[in-house]
Amino acid sequence: MYNRIKELRAVFNLTQDELAQKVGVRRETIVFLEKGKYNPSLKLAHDIAKTLNTKIEEIFIFE
Amino acid sequence: MKKSILVIIVSVLVLAATIVWLLNEKAPLSISENAPILVALVIVVFGLYVGYSRLKSERRGEPAEDEMSKRIMLKTSSMSFYISLYWWLAVSYFSDRLELETHSLINGGILGMAVIFCLCWIVFKLTGVKDV
Repeated sequence: MYNRIKELRAVFNLTQDELAQKVGVRRETIVFLEKGKYNPSLKLAHDIAKTLNTKIEEIFIFE
Repeated sequence: MKKSILVIIVSVLVLAATIVWLLNEKAPLSISENAPILVALVIVVFGLYVGYSRLKSERRGEPAEDEMSKRIMLKTSSMSFYISLYWWLAVSYFSDRLELETHSLINGGILGMAVIFCLCWIVFKLTGVKDV
């Protein structure tokens, strides 16, 4: 699975810190997510999708 | 905040206990006696690092723990327990072949478990966790 968090974060002009604060996690978690080293829970995926105003399946893509 | 300070206090207590123990030793310590001190120092450094990083996160307005750090801790715990079983098997195997006192073997076993835990934590912190 890969994700488009970095790309969408740039569209919304959000830093990793800001996104982390909006979804209530540590910045490190966003770094790991963007690098594909961590698969989020459904709740976190939902919160990220909501913050980035996108559908979950458009952010997290299964190959 | 309380948990972060607790981690730091425990680390400082371990360090203080090690220093008191060293000061009470009259004869110079041999290499085998120095090994537990090094391991204790590794554990202290690990504890201080964890406590410091938690405090740093709290000061930045981030949660001290989130789902990823909890998952890393969960995976570290399960993996280090699994590896520790083999560690104790090795300790019991060598206990018959090495002339060591029982308390030295138990100390070595416990300290080994601590080191295994630290190493597993570092590995998962570097590689990440994709599943549980």
